[in-house]
Amino acid sequence: MKLAVVVQRYGADISGGAELHARYIAERLARHGHIEVLTTCARDYITWKNDLPAGEDKVNGLTVRRFPVRRPRETDDFGRRSALVFTKPHSVADELTWLDSEGPASPELISHIRRVREDFDFFVFFSYRYYHAWHGIRAVADKAVLVPTAERDDAIGVSIFAPVFRGVRAVMYNSFEERALIQGVSGRTGPGVVVGVGSEIPDRTQPWRFRKQFNIKRPFAIYIGRIDENKGCAELFAFFERYTVMYPHGLDLVLVGSKVLEIPKHPRIRHVGYLSDEDKFDALAAADLLIMPSRFESLSMVALEAWALGKPVLANGRCDVLRGQTVRSNGGLYYENFEEFAEALYALEGAGPLGAMLGRNGRDFFRRHYAWPVIERKYLEMFDRLKREPAVTPLEPVPGFFARRRKSARPARDVVADVATGPVLR
Amino acid sequence: MSDFNVRSDSVDVEQIMRQIRARIREKRGADYTEAELQQLATVKLERFLDPRGLRSDLVDQFRRHRTVSPEPPKYEFEDTTLYDTHRGALRTIRRLLHPILKLFLNPNPLIHALHVQKQVNDEFHKRFRAREEMDPLFFEVVHNLVVEITRLGIEVQNLKMRVESMSSRLDFDERRARSLETVVEYRRPARPSGQPSAQTPQGPQGPSGPPAPSGGRPSAPPAVSGAPASPGPQGQPAFGEPPGSPGGQGDRHRRRRRRRRRPGRTLADRTGPGSEAGQAAPDDAGGGESSTFNGRDDDGGGQDDGGSNGSMGSEGSGAADQ
Repeated sequence: MKLAVVVQRYGADISGGAELHARYIAERLARHGHIEVLTTCARDYITWKNDLPAGEDKVNGLTVRRFPVRRPRETDDFGRRSALVFTKPHSVADELTWLDSEGPASPELISHIRRVREDFDFFVFFSYRYYHAWHGIRAVADKAVLVPTAERDDAIGVSIFAPVFRGVRAVMYNSFEERALIQGVSGRTGPGVVVGVGSEIPDRTQPWRFRKQFNIKRPFAIYIGRIDENKGCAELFAFFERYTVMYPHGLDLVLVGSKVLEIPKHPRIRHVGYLSDEDKFDALAAADLLIMPSRFESLSMVALEAWALGKPVLANGRCDVLRGQTVRSNGGLYYENFEEFAEALYALEGAGPLGAMLGRNGRDFFRRHYAWPVIERKYLEMFDRLKREPAVTPLEPVPGFFARRRKSARPARDVVADVATGPVLR
Repeated sequence: MSDFNVRSDSVDVEQIMRQIRARIREKRGADYTEAELQQLATVKLERFLDPRGLRSDLVDQFRRHRTVSPEPPKYEFEDTTLYDTHRGALRTIRRLLHPILKLFLNPNPLIHALHVQKQVNDEFHKRFRAREEMDPLFFEVVHNLVVEITRLGIEVQNLKMRVESMSSRLDFDERRARSLETVVEYRRPARPSGQPSAQTPQGPQGPSGPPAPSGGRPSAPPAVSGAPASPGPQGQPAFGEPPGSPGGQGDRHRRRRRRRRRPGRTLADRTGPGSEAGQAAPDDAGGGESSTFNGRDDDGGGQDDGGSNGSMGSEGSGAADQ
């Protein structure tokens, strides 16, 4: 079996969610066939600047072909076009211009995909929202498998994506909530399976090494990820500061990750910066629980890693995916306001056995659904199924010249608002 | 304070969240949403805490803008008012014709009513004016009351927060104490007094205590989870040993070793001059030794522990038989 993995950025040191997801999947599937990665020369997901050399490269033994991005993203222009397609009635032409503006626009990558379409059995595209996925899928629709990594944001309501969702051969969802969302906006009925992604969990962790290294003696809750307002960190800080007043002997908060948002100076909040994987897992093992304050997640890999280590998760209940996973796994609690945050955190740190039980459930959940053998099997079964079944739904063509310019598309935000919300609990 | 009811491994997150929400409702007293609470808090703060909301010259301003109601038109109404006129001749004619008028109607009640009305008007005006004089004083009182109530409100809020904080601390301490009690119970396996524990006792460490090996949290007390406390290695009874018998395999070995070393208990000592079986140590370990001499299994030791030294004599003879 020959597979091409197409993703917007790729590299051993690129740690974005979808990019890491793509790398893990590519490296795992390489055990079952020939894998080639097709990507751009970009490293920065905001500007898509060509930082890496074009051409062939090897990353962890896999062949990676990089293609240059035509022009970096102009953030002001992209912002204006986003406002148009998200909030006002507009045309398909507006959406296509918005997609070009979003990037990473690499026509060479798309040409290459067209050129090598016969060399591969399937093309696995990651992240539906970017240029490479939309144009790439239109180039090889009958061989396209999509890992959408979709969140409940405005972009998924943009009308040009619905035909793509309907036209790909299969969709590998990250969660049940993501499946419901995509089916809600596109009406897709074709093959699809909720897979997610595993993680490279070390066999042994050394929590004491982390505690010694950073001189941390008290029990603590941990947050791992970019410290950013978009990730819910501002709310986390506000809630935690109030929690420390209510529970003077409660947990501390340790933050792991690069800092975008100013961290309040507080004796019980500690930022240890970006950590290597080894240190990260040691930190996670040393923590009492993981806090996930983000409202927009298609799948939280760090939550899965916490469960893999038997740690409970305290998640933002306003994120359907996190809440759904927490309830389905019985591996943590969730909150929607400060009172629930404080009570849930207190329950996890104060009630003793509760945290351990939830952590154990989380570990079982991880083993059942996100262990690598399970993930690999789901992918392989899907490829086998697609080989057996012919493609039945051809990709709908792009509207003609005049139809493209008719302002018939609804604001994306309205489209998303019409889709049912809430977690898939069972 | 209510606690979370988690009794088995089949934890249901939704149920726990329901308990958490019930607890929050219980604390709040009313089921306000976060947004409603925020709104209420904002209104209160805006109205009471913002010093710009209270004008220090409010009373002066009130006095300045005070409108004094005009005095009502004064008119007298007496029994002659109906016939009054500035023309003297006309007044005389009216008075003369008054008896004729009284043939058609009686004006006296009308005159009386209007007279009373005039008195009422005067009284009302007097009172109204007095009230107007009192208004600034009332306003000052109300103003002072508002300030005092605001101060009290803030104080109550602070006290509430302190009570809540103390309640949380108390709750934490209760849980910690419960956890400690459970651990103490868990480590209770009976041990003869006087014997040192083989294991260093390690109580749970609170958050402020020294760090625990795995994350610093006190280990989960089994009793809280509803599962029976699993006995540690020392607490497990050996095969064949009656449950609840003091000590285990390790104790027996130690006793046996002690007895072997005890003077007068070895075969050589017994056969040597001056050896006296009956002078063995007066402790109750004789049974153990007897089994050694007889080559019997240690299992008999449990019963022999209660045996008297007198039995050793016969066993001594048994040893001689060997």
